[in-house]
Amino acid sequence: MRHDPESDRESPDHPLSRVIDQLAPLLPAQGPISIFIHHNTLHDFEDLPFEVAVERAAGQLGREPFLSEARYRDKLASGRILAKDVDAVLRDDLGPAASTDVGGVSARLDLRRAIALHGIPFAAGHELSWLLEETPALSRFRSDLPANARSAFASLREGGDQSKADERRAVRRLWDACVRSVARSAPPPAAKNDLPVRHRDYIQALAGLDTDAWMHPSLIRFLASYLDQGLAHWTMPNRTLGIHGCCVEIYRSRLAAQCGTWARTLPRIVLDDRAADRDALTSIEHSLAILGIDADERTDFLRAELLALRGWAGIIRQIEERPDRVPARDLTVTLRGYLAVRLLFERAALAEAARQIGFAGLLSELRSTLRERFPRPVPPTVFERAWPLFHIAQLSGLDVSIVERWEAPQVAALEEELHDFDDIRRRRILHQAFERTIRHRLYDALACHTPRDQNDRPAFQAVFCLDEREESFRRHLEEVEPACETLSTAGFFSVAMYHQGSTDAHPRPLCPVAIRPTHYVAESELETNGFAQRTRHLGRRAFGFLGYNVHQGSRLPVRGAVLMAAFGWLSLVPLVFRVIFPWLSSRWRRVRETSTAADRTRLLVDRVEAPPPIGRHAGFTVREMADIVRRVLEDTGLGDRLSPLVFVVGHGSISLNNPHESAHDCGACGGGRGGPNARAFAQMANDSRVRRLLMSDGVAIDPATWFVGAQRNTCNNDVTIFDADLVPANCRPAFERAQAAIDEARRREAHERCRRFDAVPSWYPPVAALAHVEGRAADLAQPRPEYGHATNAFCIIGRRDRTRGLFLDRRAFLVSYDPTRDAGEILARVLSAVVPVVAGISLEYYFSYVDSTGYGCGTKLPHNVTSLLGVMDGAQSDLRTGLPWQMVEIHEPARLAIVVEASPERLSLALQRNPAIERLVRHRWIWIASLEPDSSTLSEWRPTGFARHPPERTLPVVIGQSSDWYQGKRGFLPPVAIVPPSSLSA
Amino acid sequence: MTSSVPLAWLVLIGVAAPACVFLVLGVTSLFNRQLPEWGTGGLAAAAMATSCVAFVVVLVARGFTQTAPRLLSYGQWSTTHEGGIAIEFLVDRLSLAFAALSAAIAGIVSAFSNRYLHREPGYNRYFVLLAMFVTGMFLVALAGNVEVLFIGWELVGLSSALLVGFFHDRPAPVGNAFRVLSIYRISDAAMLSAAVLLRHTAGSDSLSLLFGGAGIGSSVAVSGHAPTVIAILLVVAVAGKSALLPFSSWLPRAMEGPTPSSAVYYGSLSIHAGCFLLLRAGPLLEHSLAARILAGALGAATAMFAGITTRVQSDVKSSLAYAALTQVGLIVVEIALGWYTLAFIHLAGHACFRLLQFLSAPNVLHDLHGMEDAIGGRPSWTSGVIERLGSEHLRRVWFLVALERGFLDSVLDRVIVAPFTSAARQLTEMDRWLCEFVIHASGLDVVVGDEGRDE
Repeated sequence: MRHDPESDRESPDHPLSRVIDQLAPLLPAQGPISIFIHHNTLHDFEDLPFEVAVERAAGQLGREPFLSEARYRDKLASGRILAKDVDAVLRDDLGPAASTDVGGVSARLDLRRAIALHGIPFAAGHELSWLLEETPALSRFRSDLPANARSAFASLREGGDQSKADERRAVRRLWDACVRSVARSAPPPAAKNDLPVRHRDYIQALAGLDTDAWMHPSLIRFLASYLDQGLAHWTMPNRTLGIHGCCVEIYRSRLAAQCGTWARTLPRIVLDDRAADRDALTSIEHSLAILGIDADERTDFLRAELLALRGWAGIIRQIEERPDRVPARDLTVTLRGYLAVRLLFERAALAEAARQIGFAGLLSELRSTLRERFPRPVPPTVFERAWPLFHIAQLSGLDVSIVERWEAPQVAALEEELHDFDDIRRRRILHQAFERTIRHRLYDALACHTPRDQNDRPAFQAVFCLDEREESFRRHLEEVEPACETLSTAGFFSVAMYHQGSTDAHPRPLCPVAIRPTHYVAESELETNGFAQRTRHLGRRAFGFLGYNVHQGSRLPVRGAVLMAAFGWLSLVPLVFRVIFPWLSSRWRRVRETSTAADRTRLLVDRVEAPPPIGRHAGFTVREMADIVRRVLEDTGLGDRLSPLVFVVGHGSISLNNPHESAHDCGACGGGRGGPNARAFAQMANDSRVRRLLMSDGVAIDPATWFVGAQRNTCNNDVTIFDADLVPANCRPAFERAQAAIDEARRREAHERCRRFDAVPSWYPPVAALAHVEGRAADLAQPRPEYGHATNAFCIIGRRDRTRGLFLDRRAFLVSYDPTRDAGEILARVLSAVVPVVAGISLEYYFSYVDSTGYGCGTKLPHNVTSLLGVMDGAQSDLRTGLPWQMVEIHEPARLAIVVEASPERLSLALQRNPAIERLVRHRWIWIASLEPDSSTLSEWRPTGFARHPPERTLPVVIGQSSDWYQGKRGFLPPVAIVPPSSLSA
Repeated sequence: MTSSVPLAWLVLIGVAAPACVFLVLGVTSLFNRQLPEWGTGGLAAAAMATSCVAFVVVLVARGFTQTAPRLLSYGQWSTTHEGGIAIEFLVDRLSLAFAALSAAIAGIVSAFSNRYLHREPGYNRYFVLLAMFVTGMFLVALAGNVEVLFIGWELVGLSSALLVGFFHDRPAPVGNAFRVLSIYRISDAAMLSAAVLLRHTAGSDSLSLLFGGAGIGSSVAVSGHAPTVIAILLVVAVAGKSALLPFSSWLPRAMEGPTPSSAVYYGSLSIHAGCFLLLRAGPLLEHSLAARILAGALGAATAMFAGITTRVQSDVKSSLAYAALTQVGLIVVEIALGWYTLAFIHLAGHACFRLLQFLSAPNVLHDLHGMEDAIGGRPSWTSGVIERLGSEHLRRVWFLVALERGFLDSVLDRVIVAPFTSAARQLTEMDRWLCEFVIHASGLDVVVGDEGRDE
């Protein structure tokens, strides 16, 4: 029996429990880093429209909602945002108010367009003084004025010294006029003063003491040690008592007062909890009472407390909800336990801070005393108010005489307008325009792309994961072997299972995170030579034990000393190879792996009655297998047009020195590698019992058809083919031809991928590019083994004909769906399986890019793996969630644009059947559009219904192959149609 | 002695190569004309390779055949009636081997960093500091007199602190960099005192006393307690630089920089600079039993303390930092016992091994996973004696002490930082009071006040 004070006295109805449950979704929902699952960073805000949600979250969490205005302006300059899109978005945003006159200056639309396109540099205080005194702001007009304004000042801006003097005078007069008119009118009402809720914020603002900085190091050490999954050799004692119970046991020693000056009273506070026999919730209540938090403030206060160390709080919540996802399962982890401990530490730190600022009263009165001394916001000065108006006057090309006539109402109207169209709002508009530009380019391409005629039965088919990294691979494969057809579906191929490879220590779930698998499938060695098998096993174990002993011994004094003195210098060999010659070390790795891996293995997919180590059943029944096969064949529309050879290709990614390795794996496999799923699927589809059952269901598979499972490593472009020895003789020629095509596609795809790596010269041939990506995957010094999902922007659900030959620059998730073989059922099913995965990926990349150090985890370089659960920055910090900058740096943060090949009516129906997806669409977390199956009509979803998108540009055509279009180019490339020369002559 | 000319040149080239890179990168940065990444990385790699080749050639050509140390002099830097400061390198097996090791490790790290820091805004700054560090390491390794040694010592310390604060947009790295720097200052102060005292006692012939340069006149008569005092000061300097007790708390704080800089400083080279200095100063230590006992005691205590602490650390970099410190403590013990050869072999092996471990620290998940797969499950961690010792309560207390890293930080805060800052604060107060008094007394306050109002 486990003594467990945090759960056995648990009371779900306790009001504090409810408050905590209500606040918990605000925390980052990232689980252990070795199983990385992409999800919407702001999942808790999904019931708000996207723009409102990101802005509100920005305020509540202290993060950025969009990129900075300067970044958007760079994109305007480089043509990634078009002015016409800004105009269109503004018109949409303003509606009928667009033509309203503002302060007699111009129509609201014109004013906002000028501000959005050209900007008003924000300046206040000393910065403004500097701008006014040290820069030409008051002697020259802005150089980036819109055309109409420029013409107004044109006479002044040209010519020699005389006109320069004139210009200086004119600018000065304009500024003086602005200042005078502002001085004439009353200042706008002062903004509401948001008072902080935590004691720490008051003390920091008033006395410069940061109690968080005092207590966080100790708190983090405690939490990291408590949650540790096997990094430390000595695990924390009393971990079964729960976070609060364990803390009470450890910190009650008088020595705990030595944790720092702040901890003077910590042992006393802890002992008091122990004496009163408080559990976590009563301890929180007690602490709240001591800190003087009233009942109506509790939610706000606890929210602020939770967010102060949100990464750690988040992982605690994740483990509390899914204890099956961490290896150390004997410890009790609860968010309330953490809060109780946090408040104990906080009380000690606040007591010390109160002492240092000479406050003698009770802690509960500390805030009310400090609140009176809290600084009030200073109203803006006349110069600060005149500065934006001065810019408006320039942007609108106003004459001084007009500005001089401004009275209070005009100034008030303009200030009101500026307040309304503030920095956030301007960024919102620019962001929407940015997305519109990207999205419309895709719409135009899809509408203009003419479907190719379906020729005869393809030589072979290959079913991939819908991942956008497969877009390029599929394109190259089809270019190499025009007689093949590629398809795609969610990369777990409907096989939800716990899988344990023959060399795996633990089974691992391979399916979307929403599903908890019930089936267990093991891989077993198929060996005739028992001796060789045993030797290999022994070799592997010996290697493992050696590694383990070196790992542990290096941390021990005496064993370490012997190890270092005798063999330390040997590590120069791996150092030189792995750092200076990574490609060679990738070869060596391969040699080692093939020598210790079994020659032949098989998956045990058949149902066995023995109880599995995890899940409910070992293996699948024939019925279950038939359902899985049928589902994939129906979803992809393969049904009755199977070719004699069908490849099923999952994907994964293996890289070194990359704590975020799992984030590059297959999202549909829950951050695992999808090869086993592909292999299991092929094995099921080849099973004659399954085929017989399917035949009776009306799905006929030609007996001559053979399925082959495979896995592609998206990092080093290896393609592993499973069970190749089983391919029947009649399929051999096609199989060998297909293998050759895949080999060539591997090289070409690596080549295309390399164009985004700065380190690869643009003249590299495909062979060298393949060697480069192989080296990259084995390189200890490489923080960007691959770019993962970066640049993803689109998702296209439909037949391959609609996208075949279209260069989509690895930006589109492609999902096979055949509207001509569907009565509506399948679309709803496909949407519900696909959209949550792709939306999660797209939104995670959005937030990690937009605020890399806030929503993302910043640069990888100082990352420090802690507790085997996540990474910290440097020596110690909050647990960092989200994606590192090196993974997202080439991304364009845009919401995903999904195009579905289905009529608007059918799409609407399918959406109605998926309320969760409908909500995402309604609140514009994703864009969705319908592409008519038989025509090029494309209509985008709007709250008022589908609106037709008239093509804005034609689709350029490139004759040859993909490399003819991308070779030598580094940045984003718009879609083009790649037409092989052969089809042109035909 | 015809071979001495190419020898002198080779050693000079070896030291000058990173120094030149430092100057080129530093000056171009000063004028905001930073080289492109390939230029910076290429220069650094070329310099490290040059140094490495130069030192290895000298080591092979000379070090293995001739055992007598040689002093290479490159002229006076300054002259005074007492002898001035000369640029001198002492070349023997020990110095050449350490220089060659440093060059090889620096070369690997510079190749690593070139890719690891690709596209990082501080790329150029990083390589400036790395070149500065490597120059400093070479000077420490080859120093032929105490002045050169001190310059090298300072370059290593300064670049170390600046790299800890590499990510200066976050407060934690900057705060920790200050912490590291201030402890280095204590160490530097001890070093400087030792240098001055040495100079005072032994005049320009200082190196024979310090480094035991046999054949250059080891017969300097040193009287009284001077050698003991100097040796103890050196031990204090080493304790600061190599994070021995009671200064150990800065080591985990130094893990703020990019992974390769943590690796080369605190896993590999900088942490061993102190040990190397002790090795060099072996002859001096032999003069002073007290200093040897002090060094041995500090080393042993550090090894024990770090050995326990590392077991509890739950983040990979702190765990490695304390593991490295355990070995450093043992190396110091070996030196105190006079086992110089073993100490050097231990040092070199440890530097290489720990470098690999630090550089692949982000790989720890991958590695542990692979190990588990090979063994077929999680090996049960063998518990050490300490985990089983005493009552349950005692174990909890031990755990807390290890978790809080011996409370060294708060002890330092209380014993040194708090009195120091409060004294500084009082001095500031006094200064202000004095200024006000002077201004008031001389009637300046009227003028100042008027200007103030004008604004």
